[in-house]
Amino acid sequence: MIRLSHLTKKYGAFTAVDDLSIDVREGEVLGLLGPNGAGKTTTMRMVTGFLPPSMGRVSVGGHDLYDHPIQAKRKIGYLPEQPPLYPDMTVRRYLAFVAALKDVPAARTSAAVGLALERARVADVADRRIATLSKGYRQRVGLAQAIVHEPPVLVLDEPTSSLDPQQRAEVRELILGLKGRHTVILSTHILPEAAEVADRVVIISRGKMLAVDTPANLAGRLRAREAVTLEIGVRPGPDALSPDSARRALAALPGVRGIDARMTAAGTIEVRVESEAGVDLRASAAALVTGRGWPLLALSAAALSLEEVFLALTRRENGGGA
Amino acid sequence: MRHALVIARREIESYFVSPIAYAVMTVFTFVSGLFFSNMLVYYVRQAARADAQIEQFGRSDLQLDVPTLVLAQFFQNEAFLLMLAVPLLTMGLVTDERRKGTIELLMTSPVRSAEIAGGKFLGAFAFLALMLLPIVPMTVFMGAGGAWEAGIVASGILGLLLLGGAQIALGLFVSALCEHVLVSAIGTYGLVVTLQFIDTTGAAGDSLWVRLLGSMSFYARHLNSTLGVVAVADVVYFASWIALGFFLAQRSIDGLRYKRS
Repeated sequence: MIRLSHLTKKYGAFTAVDDLSIDVREGEVLGLLGPNGAGKTTTMRMVTGFLPPSMGRVSVGGHDLYDHPIQAKRKIGYLPEQPPLYPDMTVRRYLAFVAALKDVPAARTSAAVGLALERARVADVADRRIATLSKGYRQRVGLAQAIVHEPPVLVLDEPTSSLDPQQRAEVRELILGLKGRHTVILSTHILPEAAEVADRVVIISRGKMLAVDTPANLAGRLRAREAVTLEIGVRPGPDALSPDSARRALAALPGVRGIDARMTAAGTIEVRVESEAGVDLRASAAALVTGRGWPLLALSAAALSLEEVFLALTRRENGGGA
Repeated sequence: MRHALVIARREIESYFVSPIAYAVMTVFTFVSGLFFSNMLVYYVRQAARADAQIEQFGRSDLQLDVPTLVLAQFFQNEAFLLMLAVPLLTMGLVTDERRKGTIELLMTSPVRSAEIAGGKFLGAFAFLALMLLPIVPMTVFMGAGGAWEAGIVASGILGLLLLGGAQIALGLFVSALCEHVLVSAIGTYGLVVTLQFIDTTGAAGDSLWVRLLGSMSFYARHLNSTLGVVAVADVVYFASWIALGFFLAQRSIDGLRYKRS
């Protein structure tokens, strides 16, 4: 449905997107996952025809975006990172305007607008000016705008960023509801979000594609390591616990891959224990600490942050070298 | 073409919720009325003096055709007012779309950049036409006391539409280049004021340069229309500016794709 081949965007010496090739199958939801500045937005803009690539091609529904831009663009619904709204229009009027831009026949406009209002769940604010809407509503109006002409392809750039958790859940649910009706490319920097909505996830960093896989497989690779952080109190005295002895004791637990202990400013010891994938160290670590009579002040399972995951992944992609 | 009309309609709607457009229209209408009544009163007084001279001496050195004089002066002043008003109407045309991010919607829709430029031009032009509308009742009012010079009024309004159209096309172009509305307004002022007065170089004589600049100036080219003369050369002149401005605007909108934002 969407084919990117050797898509590259250069700004002078800087390469924002580097030789990206992927086929998105009909009905598939493809997640584009990467940290800020990875080239997600640039990729989206090239897929929607807003930016011309420096090299490579995009075809949408069999239409090459550069040879037949009008036909290709008719097939795309696009929600940019900042929803493209006219604050002084009402939601209904705005959607009718977009429908006309997207070549929805005049006779079908009001039905199409009604349907989009319904699907994006903004029917209750249809006659309010966009300027008066909350951020969550605006994002949904942005989504309504993208689907008003029922495009086979939907491109959503960070549809949930800058929303609060409640609104984020709502928008995510809406996107799940669109599954099956459209082929979707969606970008996000939130790992669980990609896992939840996407059939396949592409990980990009610094413009390069690092991995393409199903969320399940990818999660396996990404969760190659899990970490538990413990905070242990120190009783003063001649045999007071040292970070070193805490490290030695916890390193003996089965499944431990890496360990680091240090004294905190508050005079407690913080130990970070990394384990293999699928090994949950929380219970055994807690048992060990309390068994020795050390006061366990805090314990948290720190999922590896996205940054760490990327670092791990890029390191591995480079052959495990430095 | 349909897209251009869709974009023009949205543009007009946005003028009607914009305080700037309302302010421009209000002030323009008010000052137009002021000019008109001042001019009318002045020439009617002059005419009365002429009448008194004729009664006293049997002749007068004042040869006055009041309606023609009033209208000519009035339309010249209107041209000056347009020069002040139009940049305020065009400053946001593309700049605002860039600021709001809606340019991304327009450019990812199955719409050509010429349709975007065309829609923007038509929207602003329609607003200009509306702004000039109150001139008609003003001049009709003058007809109540004497001759209603429909021909001069028609050519005067046509002249203002052509002049305003050229200013709009240039303003549209500048606004496609600017990220900031004020910069867009200032740039457009620079262009239209220069073109308005380009013949007032102070150079005397009949050299090629003097004639060239004279034939390039908005002021000189607009003058005929205030006298009831519709010259093909003038129409072609302003139409050329409209075409040039439109072409540059369309190319600049296309060029926005290559910008890093």
